[in-house]
Amino acid sequence: QQEAQAIDQELFTEYKFSVDQLMELAGLSCATAIAKAYPPSSFTRSQPTVLVVCGPGNNGGDGLVCARHLKMFGYQPAVYYPKRPNKPLFEGLTTQCQKMDIPFLAEFPAEAALIDELYGLVVDAIFGFSFTGAVREPFGSILSTLQRVTVPIASIDIPSGWDVEKGKADGLQPDMLISLTAPKKAAMHFAGRYHFLGGRFVPAALQEKYALNLPPYPGTDCVLQLT
Amino acid sequence: PAPLAQAFPLPSLPRKQPTVLVVCGPAQNGAIGLVCARHLRIFDYEPTIFYPKRSPDPLYRDFTTQCEKMDIPFLSYLPTEVQLINDAYNAVVDAVLGAEAELGEGRGPCAGILATLKHIRIPIVSLDVPSGWDVEAGSSSGISPDVLVSLTAPKQCARRFLGRQHFVAGRFVPYDMQKKFELNPPEYPGTECVVAL
Repeated sequence: QQEAQAIDQELFTEYKFSVDQLMELAGLSCATAIAKAYPPSSFTRSQPTVLVVCGPGNNGGDGLVCARHLKMFGYQPAVYYPKRPNKPLFEGLTTQCQKMDIPFLAEFPAEAALIDELYGLVVDAIFGFSFTGAVREPFGSILSTLQRVTVPIASIDIPSGWDVEKGKADGLQPDMLISLTAPKKAAMHFAGRYHFLGGRFVPAALQEKYALNLPPYPGTDCVLQLT
Repeated sequence: PAPLAQAFPLPSLPRKQPTVLVVCGPAQNGAIGLVCARHLRIFDYEPTIFYPKRSPDPLYRDFTTQCEKMDIPFLSYLPTEVQLINDAYNAVVDAVLGAEAELGEGRGPCAGILATLKHIRIPIVSLDVPSGWDVEAGSSSGISPDVLVSLTAPKQCARRFLGRQHFVAGRFVPYDMQKKFELNPPEYPGTECVVAL
């Protein structure tokens, strides 16, 4: 976890990347990976509907960017964003989604069965690699509901609620994980079908410094399928 | 950078090293060139930047830092001896002037750069508008790029483009804006952010 935070810090302070830049590239990677693993034609219901659950921090921001690109790729995303930070970055991302007719749900579907009926996929953009401590409401109940959902769940960077290094045996078990920048230690406990790497912005010098040993991305793709 | 990679895939480049010269002007078009250079580096090309007049805009200054920290060299001058450019690079990205440029700029400090670019023999990829062209009427005596990447939507002068490939990069434009401005873009394949016209 510390390494991931150190890399982020260097990208912002030494390389002068803005949070906006990296979040846009991260969110785009997530949407691209989802499109590769779950193309719209693969959905069993008539419309490729996706529920994007956004948490209170940067992982939620990644989710908002992802939702916007999913819309452009032909999906029908809906966003649940209960705790919105008062910062221009997140307000901007929210507006971009709203202006693209992406609905923001007023309440979280009360039961897992309802989610299964309405959506073909759930994107878990609740907590990321900075998560520590206890899960605060409403996210505790949201995660319990998500654990009972049967449609596939795609988690951004870390399955929400997992310890960033040790995982969580009785926690969320997503079908897909999109690791951003580099896989975190928790990824070793990932048991789903699809593991993608995204966030193709780490300069070679940083990769070497932190011995990331990332496999090469194919061509100009912004994602790499690891499993 | 995606259009450049599509038009000039790495294995097809004539020189041993995948070198590309990115010439950046003082305004937004130049800033886009900086971002392009950074992604080219990530795609394993070897870009070199010529950015003689640097914008004071903090966002664009950060783009410059990102490129420097990624070991992308910045030339201190552009050789007027055209053969030197032909020999050193596989292609040139023209990010000098965009749609916002005024006609008079063809005579200013960019004039020297554009005069050199007119005589090079390696392919030129122009971002949005071939630099020096009038954004509507085009130009009979200006540079002749091999590849044009129209940003958001093609400009009127694109009709006069005679090069090999024309791409449009505008997949980020929301649907209602496309309708409002009657952009009528073609379908983008899969998850690609550019489409060849």
